[in-house]
Amino acid sequence: MPTAYLKNWLPPAFFFILFIGAWEGVIHYFEIPEYLVPPPTTIFSVIVTDFTILSMNTLITMLEAFAGFAIANFFGILLAIVFAHSQTVERTIYPYAIAFKAIPLVAIAPLLILWFGSGILGKMIMAATISFFPILVNATIGLKSIDSEALDLMNSLSASKMQILLKVRFPTSLPFIFSAFKISSTLSVIGAIVAEMAGANQGIGHIIMMASYRMETPTLFAGIFAASLGGIFFFCLIAFIEKQILTWHESMKTV
Amino acid sequence: MSSAIIIENLNFSYPSQNGAYDLPVLSNFNLEISKGEFFSIVGLSGCGKSSLLKIIGGLNQYNSGKILVGNNSPKKAMRGRKFGFVFQNPVLLDWRTAIGNVKLPSEVFHETISDEKAVELLNKVGLKGFEFSYPKQLSGGMQSRVAIARVLSYDPEFLLMDEPFGDLDEITKEQLHAELLKLWQETGMTIIFVTHNISEAVLLSDRVAIMSKKPSKIKKIYNIDLSRPRNSETKKNRQYYELIDHIKNDLKQEFLV
Repeated sequence: MPTAYLKNWLPPAFFFILFIGAWEGVIHYFEIPEYLVPPPTTIFSVIVTDFTILSMNTLITMLEAFAGFAIANFFGILLAIVFAHSQTVERTIYPYAIAFKAIPLVAIAPLLILWFGSGILGKMIMAATISFFPILVNATIGLKSIDSEALDLMNSLSASKMQILLKVRFPTSLPFIFSAFKISSTLSVIGAIVAEMAGANQGIGHIIMMASYRMETPTLFAGIFAASLGGIFFFCLIAFIEKQILTWHESMKTV
Repeated sequence: MSSAIIIENLNFSYPSQNGAYDLPVLSNFNLEISKGEFFSIVGLSGCGKSSLLKIIGGLNQYNSGKILVGNNSPKKAMRGRKFGFVFQNPVLLDWRTAIGNVKLPSEVFHETISDEKAVELLNKVGLKGFEFSYPKQLSGGMQSRVAIARVLSYDPEFLLMDEPFGDLDEITKEQLHAELLKLWQETGMTIIFVTHNISEAVLLSDRVAIMSKKPSKIKKIYNIDLSRPRNSETKKNRQYYELIDHIKNDLKQEFLV
């Protein structure tokens, strides 16, 4: 067990140290100015001194991302349930869902500012918008991927549509739904940051924008680092929950 | 014996992909099955045996003709929980344990049975010690046993089996044959058993019907008057081999001409 653990973690850890060391070395050797690329040690010291500001603003961004994620998944799954039961509705609405997906999100960010101001709501909506398509597509496929014999079985028991949904369709679709969760966990953080950059007075996107205006490149890097960490944390959280729930599924088997 | 299922002049066709024409599957199909009978239907792949079974069980619509299950239509009989289906694929829900799968029908009926009852049913089909296993952890034979226990949980009058042991190895199949016959004797169910395995049909059944190619009818029905109980001894009987041979020849004639 400990050897397997080391085998998994030692190579990436070694690579990380190598990478940071090379970065630091290259910057000092070529005397690259700090405002272009700061060395890791400088970024680290910014993270330490500005820890409270960075973490508070990351937290705000994460809250926006999570709220958007939740809204998108709630409505996405709801619409997918309707799609799974009515081809007519699916055919009617699906093209618009695709068209909606094709709108560049950066382009609607100013609109959200216009409509919802520079507060938290517009960021949640942006995070929701970016998270919506993955869950809609995946949940629709998942809910429809029920085996025809399983449907025969449930029908032979005169099961209601609701019973089939809850006892068969929904569990069948869980692996698909979790794939969507994983995709949109990181996407929702991106959505929130993009919206913050268009106009906000808080959040890690705001910190990054301010740092770029002031040419405070180490803070800029620290902001990027914090934002990535937030995305990774969210992703790992979803992966962890998935592992607890989908114990029965093929994809969770460790070979 | 009284007839449990009467089928008269049944017609059924599949609409083709583009809807331009219909593919006839069953045409002027007639059949009577007695109460408590073990009735097998053999035919080559694609002759419409599975469609027939689903029509009898109320799952598929048919175009014209008459089917009576007791005194009811198949749909009505289905709603009266008269049918238990066992498919070739055991169709277990992967996220439920063996117990959870056995309890499924009773949950659908809002009359959930106890875990103890589910365990008892699993033991009855020879599955001890795997009550808390998930389907993926069970062998094909064990999965079939769970599927049979699931049907037994609501005591249907008719057991409709569609090549239930098609994927299993010979030894497991033999065991399950013995247990199915035992259950049949104990419960008095009427079993309609669809298979392409002739020796299996002869070993188990009171009667074996041969289906013709599409559009299908019953080509011939054999009475299997081998003595019961049927077991590995039955397979040493000359009459057993003669019956298999006859049926095989009939099928060859029908399908290879």
